[in-house]
Amino acid sequence: MSNNYFNTLPLREQLAQLAKCRFMNMDEFADGVNALKGKKMVVIGCGAQGLNQGLNLRDSGLDVSYALRAEAIAEKRQSWKNATENGFAVGTYEDLIPTADVVLNLTPDKQHTAVVNAVMPMMKEGACLSYSHGFNIVEEGMQVRDDLTVIMVAPKCPGSEVRAEYVRGFGVPTLIAVHEDNDPKGEGLALAKAYAVGTGGHKAGVLMSSFIAEVKSDLMGEQTILCGMLQTGSLLCFDKMVAEGVDAGYASKLIQYGWETITEALKYGGVTNMLDRLSNPAKIKAFDLSEELKVIMRPLYNKHQDDIMNGTFSRVMMEDWANDDKNLLGWRAETAETAFEKTPAGDMDIAEQEYFDNGILMVAMVKAGVELAFETMTAAGIIDESAYYESLHETPLIANTIARKKLYEMNATISDTAEYGCYLYNHACLPLLGDFMKDIKTDVIGRGLDLDDTGVDNARLIEVNAALRAHPVEAIGTTLRGHMADMKKIV
Amino acid sequence: MTIILDNLSVDFDEHFQLQHLNWEVQSGQHWVISGGNGAGKSALIAALTGTGNIISGQLQGLPERIGVVSFAAQEALINQERQKDDADILDVISIGTPVRNIIFDDCLDPQTAQKMITKFALDYLLDRAFRKLSTGESRKVMLVRALSCKPQLLLLDEPFEGLDIDTFALLQDYLQELALQVPMIMVLNRFDEIPAFITHIAYMEQGQLLHQIDKQDTEAYNNLYQLLHLKTTELSVPACDPLSSIPKLDPSQPLVRLTDLTIKYDEFVLIDKLNWTIEPNQHWQLSGPNGAGKTAVLSIITGDHPQCYNNDILVFGFQRGQGESIWQIKQFIGYVSTALQWEYRVQISLRNVIISGFYDSIGLYSKASDRQKSIADQWLALLGMSDRADQPFQKLSYGDQRLLLIARAMVKHPPLLILDEPCLGLDDINRQLVLALIEKICAGSETAVIYVNHHTQDKIAGIENYLALAKD
Repeated sequence: MSNNYFNTLPLREQLAQLAKCRFMNMDEFADGVNALKGKKMVVIGCGAQGLNQGLNLRDSGLDVSYALRAEAIAEKRQSWKNATENGFAVGTYEDLIPTADVVLNLTPDKQHTAVVNAVMPMMKEGACLSYSHGFNIVEEGMQVRDDLTVIMVAPKCPGSEVRAEYVRGFGVPTLIAVHEDNDPKGEGLALAKAYAVGTGGHKAGVLMSSFIAEVKSDLMGEQTILCGMLQTGSLLCFDKMVAEGVDAGYASKLIQYGWETITEALKYGGVTNMLDRLSNPAKIKAFDLSEELKVIMRPLYNKHQDDIMNGTFSRVMMEDWANDDKNLLGWRAETAETAFEKTPAGDMDIAEQEYFDNGILMVAMVKAGVELAFETMTAAGIIDESAYYESLHETPLIANTIARKKLYEMNATISDTAEYGCYLYNHACLPLLGDFMKDIKTDVIGRGLDLDDTGVDNARLIEVNAALRAHPVEAIGTTLRGHMADMKKIV
Repeated sequence: MTIILDNLSVDFDEHFQLQHLNWEVQSGQHWVISGGNGAGKSALIAALTGTGNIISGQLQGLPERIGVVSFAAQEALINQERQKDDADILDVISIGTPVRNIIFDDCLDPQTAQKMITKFALDYLLDRAFRKLSTGESRKVMLVRALSCKPQLLLLDEPFEGLDIDTFALLQDYLQELALQVPMIMVLNRFDEIPAFITHIAYMEQGQLLHQIDKQDTEAYNNLYQLLHLKTTELSVPACDPLSSIPKLDPSQPLVRLTDLTIKYDEFVLIDKLNWTIEPNQHWQLSGPNGAGKTAVLSIITGDHPQCYNNDILVFGFQRGQGESIWQIKQFIGYVSTALQWEYRVQISLRNVIISGFYDSIGLYSKASDRQKSIADQWLALLGMSDRADQPFQKLSYGDQRLLLIARAMVKHPPLLILDEPCLGLDDINRQLVLALIEKICAGSETAVIYVNHHTQDKIAGIENYLALAKD
């Protein structure tokens, strides 16, 4: 079994790596794609990330081809079709890897060890190996040949969005990193920047981070607030509404599109703006519920972060890999059988504001999840910038996949790693919130407050507003959204 | 009273015809006739007064007393007065008929006439000769005559032309009152002059009544407003921005050269060895049945089709696949299609949609210069959308979105403008709007146009090259 790289580092080095995250200035990309111009880029993996990143890089004037396994070519598998129909040169590892200046490993996490072990001996002296996720290096302790440069370029969106935004003339926020143990020529950063320009990421904002910070924050965010919380929240809210006599079609729709609608407010103006969309009494209600939720769920968030930091999570997941994904596939099948998943959204109209008014508990869950994930990450040494991106910033993206096709689509879109963590969270969180849900009625989920009197106590409202705005995720959020707005005029 | 024009065609001198007019004016309705110069608006008024030869169809239901104000009627009266002068064989200076007689001889409603004279403050010229009056003065006299004949129908051809602001307001008020009793048909070309009581608007072009709309129908009203605006505005296509101008091309080189272009999916060959060269300033119409590959060929040129990398393609001096970026290609192209409209799903103002054309982006991700903003505003003025500059693009009607995307495509004055079925999905009036805009663009620029369209009636003047793709 592999050696966890993070656990081999001394504490001060662990903390230094976790604290790496900086929003880069546009002028740092003035050199464009020049560092990669004329170099031969060979992509391994022609799935959503592999294909779409390749399309972008080629449209930016770079030389891109795809290395596939001989069987995939002989059998004309989907990956072969994806590459050839898009006019890319395709060859076997043996054909292409030895000629490559940069090898882009865009396969799923669980294939990394096999893929890297296969290509590394063929790579030419001084070439570059690139990842879109640091799991293999950090959690599996992959040792890369000393002469190779190792970088990471991780677009923070699904592959389809990476392409769609590029075609629009924009890009998606992207995280880059250089594995400092593998930067023999000191060109890692220049290559990573050129790669980010090639995919259009520089237009949307680039974070300079480390392999370690990326892995530890990414795993935490995706397991807890991003996927786990939305999954658990969907199941609990649906079952509660149906039990309380709300029309099942309505309940299904309120949840399926509700996450997207309320987190849209989150995207524009943080937790504060999301709660500002509620009436005053509803805001105070949501605030109180979220405080309660945070107390109940905090031990669970701590456990996830601890397991991620000490390697327990990746070890347990890799055991499931070795066991043919028995757990993952079983849990995936269970998700497909939930009442929420099986009840189609009704065809009634739900106005945008109604998603807030009748989804107070959902707002409270998002607030509690975002704040807990952020607090837990920063307490573990992850810098605010990383914690913001891996909690608040990505929540609307996941909510968007639920709006498209509920939980099944969400789990199909995210990585297997995220999906595995999501199920772990869900299994722990459902029972944890059992008592809490007993006291929940349709006033906070399904029907809205019965507002004979919209009056609130001034002092209490001021207190709630101040608490919302004082949370550290709001401070860093305001700064980062400011950078983003400079680049992408949102309104 | 119902006036019915049933397939009416009327022949006038100088080879002008009103053709196949079908129209009903019912009591309680007040109509404005609009249209560009030479559309036949005044001819229609003339036909209602009995001028011209009816060559087919029927005209029924005209009342006995019709009050008419028009330049034609005014001119006729002045000519009549001049002839009196010429006919005068006595050796005395003829003063011509005084205004008083022009108004009161044969007047059916002297009381109203007097009221109008006071209203318009015309007392001072009652004793002057009609033919010596200024245009504005004689127009007021014509109005008084028309209004004081106890009219059962008023035909007013540009009644507000030549009136000063005060008189304009007075007349508007008076007509407002009168509208309770008398139906009116007026020719007006400025929508901002349309009085509140008007219930319907008709639009004419080339002697035909093309549109008849209820004024309450806001969308149709706005469309008609814009169509008229585009047909009548003297504004031309705004200049490009010298600071964001595109690199100069070698004029001796073709814009596009496709050599043996082949597009295939699996075993299916969509395009088989197509050769096509587009020279600068050369307009092309591209046609072919659905599925013949028109859009695929265009997207090879724009760089959106991935197989542009496996073909021999020269575009704007770039041999594709040699390290150029698609943004270097796209800067030379303006592009409009239904697909683009579907993809243009971002929150953005009308002004910024136009500015995004400088960057070939869907949405605006760069800071626009003041010059770019000003050019965008000129385009909005040309489109008649100035008052909506800051409104969201997604709230626009489908046809207005199309117009805006055409402006976006042209804002940088690209050497090549690709219009892929620009009228697809548009109703009649929006189609005409789009064609009017395209004609305006073709007339005023050095852009080569590739125009894809199935509808032969949507031909654009100036296109002389045709490429037809066959299926299979």
